[in-house]
Amino acid sequence: MADPLCDRLKHLIVETLHLEDIAPAQIEDAAPLIGSGLSLDSIDALELVVKIEKEFGIKIASAEESHQALASVASLAAFIRARADAAKLPA
Amino acid sequence: MAFPTQNSAIRLAACDCLTPFGDAFATHAALLRGERALSPSPVLGREGGDAVPLALLPGRALDEANPPAWLHSLQTLLAPVAGPGWGTARHPVCVTSSNFGVGSLYALRRTGEAGHAAHGTPHGSVELVRRALGWGENVAIFSHACVSAHLGLVHASRLLAAGAADEVLVVSYDFLSPFVAGGFHALKILNVDLPVPYQDRATGSIGLGDGAGYAVLSRNHGDFALEVQSLHNEMYHFTANKPDGSGFAAALAPLAAAAAGRKLWVKGHGTGTLEAGRMEAQAVAQAFSGAPLVGWKGSLGHTLGSCGLVELAIAAASLRSGRTPGTVGSASPTFTDAVALEPFDNTAFDGAVCASNAFGGAHAALLLSHA
Amino acid sequence: MLERYIQAVRTDAPGSEEPAATRDRLKARFAPGAVRRMTQLGLFVGAVLGELQPGEADALVYATQFGEGRALEGYLDSFPGASPTLFQTSIHPSGAQQGLIGRQRSVREFFPLAGGNQLVATAVQAALLSDAERVLFCGGEERGTWLVPHGAASDRAFAFALALTRVRAADSIGRLALEPVADSAGALALPDWFELLHNRRPFAGAVAPGWRLVLEWQ
Repeated sequence: MADPLCDRLKHLIVETLHLEDIAPAQIEDAAPLIGSGLSLDSIDALELVVKIEKEFGIKIASAEESHQALASVASLAAFIRARADAAKLPA
Repeated sequence: MAFPTQNSAIRLAACDCLTPFGDAFATHAALLRGERALSPSPVLGREGGDAVPLALLPGRALDEANPPAWLHSLQTLLAPVAGPGWGTARHPVCVTSSNFGVGSLYALRRTGEAGHAAHGTPHGSVELVRRALGWGENVAIFSHACVSAHLGLVHASRLLAAGAADEVLVVSYDFLSPFVAGGFHALKILNVDLPVPYQDRATGSIGLGDGAGYAVLSRNHGDFALEVQSLHNEMYHFTANKPDGSGFAAALAPLAAAAAGRKLWVKGHGTGTLEAGRMEAQAVAQAFSGAPLVGWKGSLGHTLGSCGLVELAIAAASLRSGRTPGTVGSASPTFTDAVALEPFDNTAFDGAVCASNAFGGAHAALLLSHA
Repeated sequence: MLERYIQAVRTDAPGSEEPAATRDRLKARFAPGAVRRMTQLGLFVGAVLGELQPGEADALVYATQFGEGRALEGYLDSFPGASPTLFQTSIHPSGAQQGLIGRQRSVREFFPLAGGNQLVATAVQAALLSDAERVLFCGGEERGTWLVPHGAASDRAFAFALALTRVRAADSIGRLALEPVADSAGALALPDWFELLHNRRPFAGAVAPGWRLVLEWQ
């Protein structure tokens, strides 16, 4: 069954980073986000962090923490679930 | 590819800087005492935000005033080089900065007060300074992030070597604003922790500081020489270096070749970030075996485009006094054994390497020695 | 006298083209997916400079008065949630770096200049003082929006790139020189410099205190 948080994150990735040729459903939960088939880099990751912090009301403290959190969609979802108020998560 | 960018020895006829501690003499003394200029400050100034390490000139707020509040302090620093003798055909001026008056553009956007706009562009900011100092129009403006000052020094050296100028004034200034602090905070490298350059720890953090400096370069006058200068541009990534450290090595190689057999100490860039700090320390250890490595941004913060000149002035003060300040704020373990945490006697050394690095994988280095 | 020979010139005069149209027009010149983060100025400069194939031994001089106007506007608008991408791309000399980083092309020396009336003179000086065999001199502007009425962004867009060699060759198409002159005053603005290149017009005149610029075409 699809994870609504992972789905939301995939839409955020495509919208925030202007990935014109990629549909959210094409992003695999466990695939590496940085340096992968998506060709995202650390600046893309930080742009995502700004959106994620605002949408989910969490804080990512450092470049090192953002690198760990954004290892994949699945790891990002786990990071957010561990820190965000449940009311901010998609149902 | 590595070869010297400039290898005609040019003299440093005058050099000084301005930091929150004061001029080069006062800053050098504060660094010897191990003092930090950085303190926790709201990253967005009046609008608050996380407390991050900033070092502002005494009495200056992060939010820009109109006219800019830093102008008076800059005029005081540059008083010895004020007047119409500069900015002429044979006495050109090179102004270098990363940010110029961008804090004024931030103030324009946040307050809507149109008066800020005139100082917001590089040329607008430099025109403000030029008129305040009474210089002529022969002013070149270089802007390449944290190697900006080095570019000014190389260009000035080339003008002198070509016989196209009698003396050249190089000026550098970078004063903080929410524009700059907010940007580095968004990059997640200006965090709540104080910077500890070259210290081996789990997370990195930088601090930012106000800074300005100037140097008068001459063919014949001055008690210090800029023997060799080098530049290298990796063009690998905006915020990361080639993982093999080859960019750092390329910039240092011409200096190592020129200084073979001589005893040097190294003033590194060392902002407090991890990967770049590690690569830089390793490259320095490789190029200059046994040379102590120091970095002062743990105290002063990163003064951005002005760091090359600010730290050159402190390096010159160190050579003049015989004492080099250690890497203030840092502790063991460090990336290499060569990192000097404490001040040391430099009288037995032949000179110093001063290195800076910038976004985009830009590197710059110079060899400073007694003339 | 400082002089070099012009080996090649490339110019782009996009008029009032909007950034989306520029991306469509130029995206084939860059790696797939690279243009999504590029500014309009980065696309202009990257395209003309790319045609000259920058190499590791080249020196690069880059001149822009206003830089990334739209990235600057966007970054200022993004506060309090400051955008790291827009911060990064608004910093001079992003316009030249975007294309080179995208192509992973290191360069020996890189001299980015800013300025107003003395910008062309000082940029040409930097180009002619280099000891690299080949110097690439490029630059341009992109059109801003709300910063334009404040005089803080350009109201026109253009880009240029010149390849300059130390020695005259059989395929040299011109000559660029700076001659020292006594007591001169003058200026050559970047848009006017672009027009000279775009239309292959010659020029001889004072451009800065003590300097006369000569641009000749063969």
